[in-house]
Amino acid sequence: MRWSPLARSESRTVLTSKGAWILAFLVVLWGFRPTYAGWDAVGRNITVGYIQIGVDLFLPIGALLVSYQSLIGERTTGSIKFLLGLPLTRTQILLGKASGRFVGVGAAIVAAALALAGIGLVEHGPFGLLPFLGTLVATLLLASAMVAVGVLVSTVTRRTVTAATGVFAYLLVTLFWTQIVTSVYTAITGVPVDPYEAPASGPLFLALRLTPDGAYNVLTNWLLGVGNSAELFHIVATKLAPGVSVNAFVVEAAFDGGGPWYLHPALSVVVLLVWMGVPMALARRVFTEGDAL
Amino acid sequence: MSASAPAIEADAVTKEYGDVRAVDSLDLVVERGETYGFLGPNGAGKSTTIGLLLDYLRPTSGTVRVLGKDPRRDVVEVHDRVGVLPDRFGLYEDRSARQHVAFVAEAKRVDDAPESLLERVGLGDAVDDDAGDFSSGMEQRLALAMALVGDPELLILDEPFSGLDPHGVRRVRDIVHEETQRGATVFFSSHVLGQVELVCDRIGVLHEGRLVAEGTLDELRDRTESPDDATVEDVFVELTDARVDDGGERR
Repeated sequence: MRWSPLARSESRTVLTSKGAWILAFLVVLWGFRPTYAGWDAVGRNITVGYIQIGVDLFLPIGALLVSYQSLIGERTTGSIKFLLGLPLTRTQILLGKASGRFVGVGAAIVAAALALAGIGLVEHGPFGLLPFLGTLVATLLLASAMVAVGVLVSTVTRRTVTAATGVFAYLLVTLFWTQIVTSVYTAITGVPVDPYEAPASGPLFLALRLTPDGAYNVLTNWLLGVGNSAELFHIVATKLAPGVSVNAFVVEAAFDGGGPWYLHPALSVVVLLVWMGVPMALARRVFTEGDAL
Repeated sequence: MSASAPAIEADAVTKEYGDVRAVDSLDLVVERGETYGFLGPNGAGKSTTIGLLLDYLRPTSGTVRVLGKDPRRDVVEVHDRVGVLPDRFGLYEDRSARQHVAFVAEAKRVDDAPESLLERVGLGDAVDDDAGDFSSGMEQRLALAMALVGDPELLILDEPFSGLDPHGVRRVRDIVHEETQRGATVFFSSHVLGQVELVCDRIGVLHEGRLVAEGTLDELRDRTESPDDATVEDVFVELTDARVDDGGERR
């Protein structure tokens, strides 16, 4: 492929940067948290849960920070003039940028997952290979989605400070996503949302899992077999335990049966693919139209 | 058709940024094998024109062809056959000179040895030094080495003498001669007028986005009624002053 030298160069940039390895370190540091709730929920598969915990918090911000400068950085330093002079279409430049950054982030995050797996193996013994591999794939899907968002931000902005503001705004929105969704839901329907006794509303639950990290949690919870929710696995298990009440949105707790079809956890793969595909398509549209400088 | 087509053809090319017309109805033909000096005062539109030739920028109207190809539609083929030394560029500070050249060679799918290209531009003793430690002259030399990768049919050099000491200037001049002897076309913009005189077959003078004069130095002297020993600088000043004095030409 024409763009593979660029992709290699980009992945080397990521892998030789401190950022990628700080991300991996934080995922391990934050992810490894043995709890009784976690152990009770999934037993030895708590090791897989560690990956979810670390990735859920740090992968989105880490992948964004690693990728949001991919184009804007070249614009501000002027190296984009060499980049654009290569025998590549602008679409190929975007593909090379995104895939290279993804490989860099992916390698760092796989290293973190393997480190957590190693720690878990020593601490708790063997865990399920299928949930582990499934979670690894889900993690790479989340990484690709976040890199796509970062590349989009980098493409549509003309100044680094604007790109950084875009990243910060995205993180704020996803951080407060539950509050935003429940407020909008209440404003539209007039029904107050009590997270301890959430209304059995399909659209409400669907909206809660539309962020990349929400979809990731839904998918990995499914792989761990704890329940259908965008919350972390041990919270979901706690919510579904008899006689316990926590403020979490879990499909099985709100709906009799499994809820509407569109809340099936497997559809979170579609959500993540949309988060990967739509930003890349938008970035391509912006980058291939008009002036590139 | 494209094998015999001119190296560069611009037909009524205009580039506007809002109300500002950076390039105004530019008609330009650069034949294969010639060394064409593209002159103009700062802000005349030289770099914009080069950006249009390379599809960095898109024309508001008019058409551009490079080596007989559309630089937008055929960007891969055009960039494969063109070497570029851009103006006001930046390098990858944490990468060595060798890595810079190797990256371009890899992208162009040629097996040029970075060492020999770097030797050629005078960076033979800095092959493995990081570009972040380079002086502006060394950066310019490195960019020239990157432009030379793959023996391009057309070299587009935007202010190639910028930041160079006299040795560097002479080396660039020698390389331009070597490249034209090889059969390459060289198109370069500059406001270092003395060097243009030494290097170019033909000269085009751009002023306020318009090509106000074009020809050999002798033809330009005749046109401006300059004396036979007038330098490019004399001719240039006369040409651009005349346009400045002509109130109708200024926007």
